[in-house]
Amino acid sequence: MAQITVDGEVIEVAAGRTILQALDDAGLLMNGVDVPHYCWHPKLTIDGSCRLCQVEVEGIPKLQIACNTPVKDGMVVHTKTERVKRAREGVMELLLINHPLDCPICDQAGECKLQDYAYEYGVPHSRTKEPRRAAKKRVDLGPTIVFDQERCILCRRCVRFCREVPGTGELAVFERGDRSVIETFPGTALDNPYSMNVADICPVGALTTKDFRFKIRVWFLTDVPGVCTGCSNGCNVHLGVANNKVYRYLPRRNDAVNDTWICDAGRMSYAEIGAESRLKNAYLRNERGVLETAAYKSAIERAAARLRALLEAKGPGVIAALASPHATNEDLLTLRRLLDAAGVQNAGVAVPHWQPDALLVKAERAANAEGARALGFPDAHVVLDRVRAGGVDALLVLGHDVLDPAYLGDPAALASLDTVIVLDTHRSELERVAHVLLPVRVAAEKHGTLTNHAGRVQRVRPAVEPAFEAYAEGEVLARLGALLQLPGFDGKWDVRETSRALGTSSPAFVGVDVESVGEQGRPLATVVAGASGTGGRA
Amino acid sequence: MVITPELRSRIEAAMRSYPHKRGALLPALHLVHEQAGHVTPETARELAALFDLRPAEVMEVVHFYNMFYDRPQGRHHVYVCTNLPCSLRGARGLLRALEAHLGIEPGETTQDGRITLGHEECLGACAYAPMMRIDGTYHEDLDVEEAKRILDALE
Amino acid sequence: MGLKVPYVTNYLTEHCGDDAFATLEGYEAKGGYATARKVLRGSTPESVIELMKTSGLQGRGGAGFLTGLKWSFMPKGAEKPKYFCVNADESEPGSFKDRLLLERAPHKMLEGILIGAFAVGAAKTFIYIRGEYAEPAKQVQRAIDAAYAKGYLGKNVLGTGFSHDVVLHRGAGAYICGEETGLLESLEGKKGQPRKKPPFPAEHGAFGMPTTVNNVETFCHVPHILANGAEWFRGIGTEKSPGTTIFGVSGHVARPGLYELPLGTRLDEIVFEHAGGVPGGRKVKGVIPGGMSMPILPAGQLDVPMANEFLRERKTMLGTGGIMVMDETTCMVRASCVISYFFRDESCGQCTQCREGTGWLHKIVTRLERGAGSLDDIALIEDVCSKMEGQTICAFSDAAVWPLQGMLRHFREDFELHVRHQKCPFPESFEL
Repeated sequence: MAQITVDGEVIEVAAGRTILQALDDAGLLMNGVDVPHYCWHPKLTIDGSCRLCQVEVEGIPKLQIACNTPVKDGMVVHTKTERVKRAREGVMELLLINHPLDCPICDQAGECKLQDYAYEYGVPHSRTKEPRRAAKKRVDLGPTIVFDQERCILCRRCVRFCREVPGTGELAVFERGDRSVIETFPGTALDNPYSMNVADICPVGALTTKDFRFKIRVWFLTDVPGVCTGCSNGCNVHLGVANNKVYRYLPRRNDAVNDTWICDAGRMSYAEIGAESRLKNAYLRNERGVLETAAYKSAIERAAARLRALLEAKGPGVIAALASPHATNEDLLTLRRLLDAAGVQNAGVAVPHWQPDALLVKAERAANAEGARALGFPDAHVVLDRVRAGGVDALLVLGHDVLDPAYLGDPAALASLDTVIVLDTHRSELERVAHVLLPVRVAAEKHGTLTNHAGRVQRVRPAVEPAFEAYAEGEVLARLGALLQLPGFDGKWDVRETSRALGTSSPAFVGVDVESVGEQGRPLATVVAGASGTGGRA
Repeated sequence: MVITPELRSRIEAAMRSYPHKRGALLPALHLVHEQAGHVTPETARELAALFDLRPAEVMEVVHFYNMFYDRPQGRHHVYVCTNLPCSLRGARGLLRALEAHLGIEPGETTQDGRITLGHEECLGACAYAPMMRIDGTYHEDLDVEEAKRILDALE
Repeated sequence: MGLKVPYVTNYLTEHCGDDAFATLEGYEAKGGYATARKVLRGSTPESVIELMKTSGLQGRGGAGFLTGLKWSFMPKGAEKPKYFCVNADESEPGSFKDRLLLERAPHKMLEGILIGAFAVGAAKTFIYIRGEYAEPAKQVQRAIDAAYAKGYLGKNVLGTGFSHDVVLHRGAGAYICGEETGLLESLEGKKGQPRKKPPFPAEHGAFGMPTTVNNVETFCHVPHILANGAEWFRGIGTEKSPGTTIFGVSGHVARPGLYELPLGTRLDEIVFEHAGGVPGGRKVKGVIPGGMSMPILPAGQLDVPMANEFLRERKTMLGTGGIMVMDETTCMVRASCVISYFFRDESCGQCTQCREGTGWLHKIVTRLERGAGSLDDIALIEDVCSKMEGQTICAFSDAAVWPLQGMLRHFREDFELHVRHQKCPFPESFEL
């Protein structure tokens, strides 16, 4: 450890860090100590070329770039002196002499570091007389990204990202001096599973995603912290919300989970929230075997009636349940309680898999499979074996992951059951066999926690309200429990109370509830032994 | 295929001179230019494979150096130094005369593909100005007529 | 076309007029390699470094750093291979001395390398020669091959147990590769973009190994210093700048060429006595004393000894000793145009100030030269220069602004005349 003083404040820093890294480690960078920077990024190698982060270090005559100057014990750094101010002005003016200044039509406006720093540190008028450098506009860099060469300030973050993170290296700086331009290799595209991150790290409006550009001005968006539910990694995101609609996911930094990145597939999964394929109505199957829409209340009552009939006639042994690996820990605890109260022992969870990678994408294509296991739901095969053996009359299904080819592939195997009750966020083939269908909320529409592949419990919160009647699974199940007159169920459901109860129900959850995990999440108290095996547990 | 087995073995021999084989990238690019005159995207891909690099990393190196080209050049490179010591002694006039003589602008190639004309930064012949470099050879203390004669004699 | 022999020679360039001196036999016949033989057999590395330190030899590549001190930065011990690099990327406009040594005295450089490599324990030397120097490269390769054949290079040099390899590496046309870390990047097969420091080359240099980079001429001094001793060396030149150097004189002089003279020789002596002054009875207007990166001196300030301790007092430096003489017809705005074009052309493009500033300066100077500038533009040049100076990864940006600052310091009137007349008032100036 070393001690340095920055603008009079003493900071403890780890040895071997640079000034900028030390400020970042301490959470002070641009959050108490303003050292503007373009090329430096906490998760990329140090470039040292934009020269904006120059600071004064006592005992060194020249200004030093904070990004590459190693801290020494006793170092005294000043970030607000006249010399520093003048150096920043110099860099800003030089960056702007060839910049098109097309902010009114630039999609980055509002979250542009050139705009921000020019306002903060720039000179107020332009002293150039010659035409600005002309370069390529609207370059189609690949399936996801559009590039405006004129706006580029050559910080090379994108170039380093492609080389250092996905390792694909599509981008390079061609030519030299003031003719330098970023390009792909002739005839090739910027095309990798993480490509859209280049738009996030581009400090200006040079790189924008095809998906988001021109959809909405960023100042209309509210950022709601949340978690990507595309796989079990649980990458932290900001949901960009306006008019009760999610416009985008941006990765939210969490060094224990996703650094500052997110995969393209996960980023695009925001579209699932407002998708047409959402289940928007409750349905009941009528006497003629046709599904028809129903009031939510009557649909739950029908579900309760059918289950009660079976419980009374045959007992809990003929009832089985499938938990959803997408539901929150709070939803799943409520399911667990319902099943325990009813005496139903046959329950599991179906977890779809896909091809993982070495970076963020995990094999389990669901956000909370680990949470389901921690709450005692084994793999769904135990349930399905029993269904096939004819031992099940009623199945309570949360989500439609059981349709994954690794499980049923097709709902036909459930067609012979007496009762199939489905709680789901999206429509699926389960409609063919369901007797009761109840729409439920996605993670972006409710409070709760999700447990990622490594056992980290992370919070979600409502960013939008569904435009149709839908409740969290926990709430639906609480009402179902009450209708079944099960002990401990009064029909009311409080997510915070349920969350606090996680710890008393399962030792794994001691101390991790929706309030206490904070915005960065916390690991489970104990990780469920041997449950996953595929998640690349760290 | 641009990189013939013979060229490949010469590149591999060059790699052995360096602790990391990438050190031989400039030598390899010189060899490619000797053989093909410029680096096509196809050549860059082949070199990238040989050096365990990405094609963009090869191409950015090509673009950085004045003596590497990504498009076809004349059979001879004729470069007149126009830096200050040469300019003081009439280099710009020499260059203009050669432009007129060949009927091309700096950076262009004669229609018969014989000569690419250009101007270059200081070539280290300041006392012998004006001068021009034709491929690997310096021609110094030139006057316009002599320079034209030298150009005319090029194959 | 044979390279012209210096008009004035001394120990460095003695015999350079003799074709045979470039061959190993010819070099040996003049006593070549005897010093290396003696040093490798009878000296310790520490004593060589100590002697080099005592000699006070300043690097001859432009920065003038003390060679012995630079060598002493190399880590001791042999955990990692250590490398030497020869900077033979001579591309500073006005400089052409190393080309002479490479072509006419390659074995002298190799002998210097061998002694230095022994001193710092380097396993290998990479000679980075600019790509345009095709002929010098051939001579150097021939010399390397001959030295291997005779046992001066390779395993177990001269039976001493010391082994050393030399690899000739050709650049490909980029001024910035003369900057030592740009050179290292280029040697590694990358764009020659200078590295941010730390780390420094002595700790993390070529291919990640401890590396020292020295200029061609610097290495050529080494055998002489080892043979004759530090006292002898310090007896030549000035107290602070010992030894000779090879001045290259170009531009408007009667006898442009190379002159090996002791450091401290007066600039006016070189220009007027040795190089014959300006032909045609014209007067000198200004002289750039040390290659184009160095600020110009006006005619009235040529009475200065050519050594950094004196040149600094006149706000310029020895640089590479490339002396460019401009006569009274010269338009200094036009000269500034050429200078600013060069730096714009050669900026590697990494650092904001240099990439954007060199381009902007060239535009402003061009505007003034055409007569389309204003007095504000002159102030703007000074302001842009101040924003580029001392703030970048390498000294290129400084090198781009120093000559312009010098021009404004001494020839501001030329700029103002362009504004007043709205055209170039020097009809007889060199053509642009």
